[in-house]
Amino acid sequence: MTPHITPVMLGQVIVSGLLAGALYAMVALGLGLIFGVMRVLNVAHGPLLMLGAYITYFLFITVGLNPYLSLLVSMPIVFVIGVALQHFLVRRVVDAPELSSLLLTFGISIALVNVAQLAFTSDLRSVEFITGAFLVGPFAFSKARVIACLFAAAITALAFLFLQKTRLGKAIRAVSQSREVAQVCGIDVHRIHMLAFGMASALAAAGGSLMTVMIAIQPEMGAVYTFKSFLVIVLGGAGNYPGALLGGLLLGLVEQLASLFLTTQVNEAVAYVLLVLVLLLRPTGLLGGRST
Amino acid sequence: MKRWARWFPAALALLLLVLSVYPLWATGYGVRVMLQLFMWIALAQSWNLISGLTGYVSFGHVAFFGMGAYTTAILVVKGVAWPLAAVAGGVMAVVLAFVIGWPCLRLKGPYFAIAMLGLNEVLRVMASYFEGLTGGGLGLSLPTLDASVRIYYAMGLVALAVTAATYVIVTSRFGLRLMTIREDEVAAEAMGIDTFRYKIYAFLLSAAAPGIVGGLAARDMGYIEPISVFPLVTTITMIVMVLFGGKGTIWGPVLGAVILFTFQELVWANFPHAHQILLGGIIVAVVLVMPRGILGVLQQRYNLPRTV
Repeated sequence: MTPHITPVMLGQVIVSGLLAGALYAMVALGLGLIFGVMRVLNVAHGPLLMLGAYITYFLFITVGLNPYLSLLVSMPIVFVIGVALQHFLVRRVVDAPELSSLLLTFGISIALVNVAQLAFTSDLRSVEFITGAFLVGPFAFSKARVIACLFAAAITALAFLFLQKTRLGKAIRAVSQSREVAQVCGIDVHRIHMLAFGMASALAAAGGSLMTVMIAIQPEMGAVYTFKSFLVIVLGGAGNYPGALLGGLLLGLVEQLASLFLTTQVNEAVAYVLLVLVLLLRPTGLLGGRST
Repeated sequence: MKRWARWFPAALALLLLVLSVYPLWATGYGVRVMLQLFMWIALAQSWNLISGLTGYVSFGHVAFFGMGAYTTAILVVKGVAWPLAAVAGGVMAVVLAFVIGWPCLRLKGPYFAIAMLGLNEVLRVMASYFEGLTGGGLGLSLPTLDASVRIYYAMGLVALAVTAATYVIVTSRFGLRLMTIREDEVAAEAMGIDTFRYKIYAFLLSAAAPGIVGGLAARDMGYIEPISVFPLVTTITMIVMVLFGGKGTIWGPVLGAVILFTFQELVWANFPHAHQILLGGIIVAVVLVMPRGILGVLQQRYNLPRTV
């Protein structure tokens, strides 16, 4: 059943894995940000990604907006949705046992997915914007995926720059290190939580917008990205932001290699086995993170 | 309070008596409806055992239901008697719970919740992938057999058994240990409780009934396919029933199952997406406004014992 594997195929798969990985890393950075700042695992992260995808889709269908330009619309809209979710709902369970926040975001996620199903139906939709591939020597790379990877890398770099260099970014990192001490230093923790949730939602939306050009979208597409993003932060080490980059690239690589040696059908199962293995062998992540 | 304690067991005995003779005069439809209610009670109680008592949220409990359904269906097709096959379904569900629980329950935090969220998807993919065993996307047809009444009793028995087990657990030291883990796991460890061991016990117990019930449901439906036995909405419904009725209580899941199932049958089944938006809304509302559920509120207001 396994065809003969040539070095060219292997090289192709490795590059495709890294391309997909950059996107995973960006989306996972969002999930990791919320988790790091307020110890809340946002189950609705994937559905927020789905919202970003639909915004891009409808902007393309109705006014013909370039899907990459629509990042400038989808990210702010979902940012605002994220801030609102934090302000009205999640804020109340930040200090509660994690059962509450898990269930709350799970409830939000169900509601979002089904509102989308009601509004947009469950039909698969896709944007035919860029097709074809770049041919480099013996390799062929889907144009949409290469561009998505570049955008993802740029957005991730900007997010890191923001976290490292600006006062607000420093405040976010301070809150994720110790909320009490940050509060004593005069940081408005509630505002930082809203900002972090909004930023994380915008990162998810960016992922959704970029995916619209690559794959067909539908309302239930999000759940698997909540799972994969979590896997990425576990791989990198919870609370370790650069670790998310490594984790994302690793997940992309492992998935692509698995689809070469096995079949694409088992893609999700591979990610799952990876999660269980990491939890068994190295629960603090590959780079080591803060224990929870 | 005292009066209440006297008439409650009597009313319960009467109810059980009525339910045990119900199939003698009920229509076929009536039996099927009650059988499904029993199924939901068993599922909700099982979710309560792990998530209500220890506070570890299982987002994929339907995985055990599907595991039981497939095990039973495969065995029945091979010629095994269905009651035996359903028990085997329960055993396989417990084995699966052990495989997942061992790596994921050692850690605190949301690892377990997310692992369970993915488990269901993975099993569904696997069921489609191993076509030789499961029939893949085409599904499996079981030989026709009219056993509604016997399945009614079997479901009822499972629902009763899980509820009785919950009573025994909540009133025992084992249950106290589980609830200590829920309230403060670090403190529980400091008091000498081997938290990992008790979490695993609770998880294995909570997987058994969904496995058996999944097997019985497969026999009852006569035909299963990956999407029919691994639907996310089943997990959602279990969670809503428990939260609504009162998590961590004995009768809360039963109360939640009866109320929600009744409404579902009467009204919501006609509006699947609106129905699920409502379920999501109920989860959000209960967590924010009424975290202890109906029974929790009643317990507080009327000073009922904790063992309700």
